[in-house]
Amino acid sequence: MKVLVTGASGYIGNRLVLAARSRGYEVIAATRRPVSAVGDWIAFDLVATGAIELPAGTNAVFHLAADTTSRLIDSETEAASARRLIAAARQAGARFVFVSSQTALEHAPSAYGRTKWRIEQLVLAAGGTVIRPGQVYGGDERGLFGTLVRAMRALPFFPAFLPAPQIQPIHVDDLASALLHCVESDELTSAVFCVGEPEPVSFTRFLRLIAAERVGRFRLPIPVPVVLVRLLGLGIGRQLRAKLGFDRLGSLFDLRAMQTEADLRRLGITLRPMVSGLSRSGNDRRRMLIGEARAFLRYVLKERPTAILISRYVRCIERERGGQPLALSSFAHCFPVTLALLDRARPNVNLAQAEFVWRLNAAVVLAEATVQGARRFLAIGESSGLVTSIVQIARALTSELGWRVVRIIASPVLKSLMCDQGRPR
Amino acid sequence: MSNGFDVIIVGSGPGGVSSAFPLVQAGLQVLLVDGGREMALKSPVKTYLTSRGEDETQWHWMVGRDYHALHHVDAVSPKLRVPMLAPVFEGYSAANQIHASTFVAVGSLAQGGLSNAWGCGVARLSSEELRDYPFPASEIEPSYETVTRRMGVSGAVDDDLSDYFGLDGWTDPPIKMDTLHRRLWHAYGKNRSALSAFGVRMGRSRVAALEQDRGERHACDLSGNCLWGCHRRALYSATDDLEQLQRYPNFTYRSGFVVDRVVRSGEHPAVVGSDQSGTEAIKARKVVLAAGTLATTRLALQALQMAGPVAMQNCPTAAFLLWLPGALGIRREPAFGLGQLSFALALAPGVSGFGSLFNPTGIPLAEFVRYMPLGRRYAIDILKALMSSCVVGNVFLPGRYSTATLSMTHAGVLQVAGGYHPDVAPFMSLAERRLRSAFWKLGAVLLPKSFTIGHPGSDIHYASSLPMRSQPGPGQTNARGELYGLADVYVADGASLTSLSEKSHTLTIMANADRIGRGLLKDLSESQ
Repeated sequence: MKVLVTGASGYIGNRLVLAARSRGYEVIAATRRPVSAVGDWIAFDLVATGAIELPAGTNAVFHLAADTTSRLIDSETEAASARRLIAAARQAGARFVFVSSQTALEHAPSAYGRTKWRIEQLVLAAGGTVIRPGQVYGGDERGLFGTLVRAMRALPFFPAFLPAPQIQPIHVDDLASALLHCVESDELTSAVFCVGEPEPVSFTRFLRLIAAERVGRFRLPIPVPVVLVRLLGLGIGRQLRAKLGFDRLGSLFDLRAMQTEADLRRLGITLRPMVSGLSRSGNDRRRMLIGEARAFLRYVLKERPTAILISRYVRCIERERGGQPLALSSFAHCFPVTLALLDRARPNVNLAQAEFVWRLNAAVVLAEATVQGARRFLAIGESSGLVTSIVQIARALTSELGWRVVRIIASPVLKSLMCDQGRPR
Repeated sequence: MSNGFDVIIVGSGPGGVSSAFPLVQAGLQVLLVDGGREMALKSPVKTYLTSRGEDETQWHWMVGRDYHALHHVDAVSPKLRVPMLAPVFEGYSAANQIHASTFVAVGSLAQGGLSNAWGCGVARLSSEELRDYPFPASEIEPSYETVTRRMGVSGAVDDDLSDYFGLDGWTDPPIKMDTLHRRLWHAYGKNRSALSAFGVRMGRSRVAALEQDRGERHACDLSGNCLWGCHRRALYSATDDLEQLQRYPNFTYRSGFVVDRVVRSGEHPAVVGSDQSGTEAIKARKVVLAAGTLATTRLALQALQMAGPVAMQNCPTAAFLLWLPGALGIRREPAFGLGQLSFALALAPGVSGFGSLFNPTGIPLAEFVRYMPLGRRYAIDILKALMSSCVVGNVFLPGRYSTATLSMTHAGVLQVAGGYHPDVAPFMSLAERRLRSAFWKLGAVLLPKSFTIGHPGSDIHYASSLPMRSQPGPGQTNARGELYGLADVYVADGASLTSLSEKSHTLTIMANADRIGRGLLKDLSESQ
């Protein structure tokens, strides 16, 4: 498939290009300046007026280019540009997908929202597809997401607006998948699709998650009444308001909730959890694996494993077993001793049992081959003697027996207790 | 003779080097080729317990930076998981086109072959055991002596197994025993008659490990690193002999040349093999195959265009854990990690088992944890407290109780199928009962459920696939080790042993190779 992407150098465009190419698509960037990462390029400028000719054989056009910042381009110019692009797509027989916004509305408070609405009408009239994403986040620190991360990194506090705006985040790569699905599916009709978390989350929680998961620091929330911001906005005048981003804040406060569940289903997209999406890799595979390493090694060693041992386990699983973490519950992560409930248990729990055994054995082998392990396994540097040994053996047998009893009692809830039900296995 | 060699020897393991000595010493032009893999890692220098307590990089030699031990977690023996020994075992089956389904097929492309990773057990076959061999016992006796003296063997002491091992005239005193074995040995002294009622005779192990310094090799210092590589070179390896051989100007060593075929070209045999420089055929007046029983048999069957199957012998084996309750709580001490005490066990008229006892300190505890029916956390607790008062033991049965066969596919691949004779299970269970009773008399408990029978082939005693016979037929060798149907090609490794007893067989392979070398020398001088 051959696809053309306007705004290919932007925050979303960049990830869309990568996703399309990873599926083996031929990608043409339509931007003002050539994009070095994309092979094929044609010039495209929102303010240009000439007719656009698509390269031969183009199957789909993704229209992402927009004036998101300084409102230098008026609504009419942007709409005219879209009209010309739609005409070119129709001529080439290519499908047309337009990335709109949650703020798109005929009488939206921001010019951005009004322009988006206007173009949506043109796209729908031409039989194209419109995607309205919620708050896009994740991946590179660009776009509004980038601004927020940088601010959270720089400042020790953040504004907690009252009442808190409700947003519906979507990871940039999930959005890219949704966009590609629009041109891959033969069943989708021309329509507006709303994509984002079905259950809105408060903007304050979103910022707090950025601080915790991305920045890795505590940030103090400072309550800021929305009314105050609005009043300030009125006071400073229109031009300064646009310049300082008050308009964008305004649209944030006026967001209307989208019904996304049905649309996500139609697009075949499952959104990743936000904590996963906010990590640098875009998924929390590595972090989950580190948690697994910590739990397994602690279960084996009976004490906190060293950082170097944890990383050794992680590299081992990545090298020998493909690197996906097991679906252990956070309860099991927090209380490694409870792994005794699964160790040597009959495989009644839905963990991949053979894999669990392999990894636990790996944890034993790796833990043993350390100075810490020599103490634990060979009693090097520890007291020994008849009484000590008898006590140790008796205690171990008692514990084993105890956990077997607990296992029987807890068997109805063992699965929900020890396995993370929500994670794919 | 296009290449000017009198003899080409394929393989630098114990058989290959032993057949080389008489030829090289007589001044013949000898070429020895092998797979050429070399050890990349260094053996630990400090004692095992010191390294474990101090060495922050111990995982390099215990697990391997490439996670070797975990990559091979399903291999049957801890040896196969030791990172340093990786070059010993790697690539053998692939390079030699060996495929095993129901058998653990192990071999080596390394310099020195499997002797880089052996248990160092040595014994001589009695005249009784040599009865089915097609030559008088007196013919191999000088070879036993030569080889034993060259290797350096310890364990000579007047005990109940002196005659059984039959080596004491040529060997050094035994290496010092650890506390656990001393206790057992002491108890045995008081209970000999009681044990003989169970058919058990005990003695010090005779092992090819140095009790006294020998040239560049040094006596065992009880470092406990036997499994991980002895930096003092106290344990015999055929590489020691290879070094000696390389001092002779008429000896040529070509490392990294893997032989693919043996052919006859004109009046002489030749080996066709390859190394980095490509494929090459090398001619000589005689060819000696000592590539390891499996690879040698493949070369022979291929040259003879025999599909087989031919029978192979290997020793059914079992391992067990022995606990000395009276020693519970003693501190782990530096100890020799290979056989310290051995036993011969009568099972039926004419059938006996042989086994040895080892100090397990140098074996990772993880090797035992995996077999415990407990949660690993508590299994470690128990083994940590228990293992300082435990020794591990093994037992071998005669090779005639295996039903292994070797056959060739059309594609030239050697198929190995393993199996045990129906008598093995009852013999093993009898062995377990007798050993349990015998050790109980010595104040030791053979731990329940610890007695584990190994998979066919896990003993790594493979022999008798091309047995020597006085009247050989196809797929057999004559008394001089020469392959029937392929003149001037000799077999000097386990493959040509007429039968495989329960005793450690390496010394017999070496003595027989030495004997074959001498015979070959005679053949060559007669033909000149």
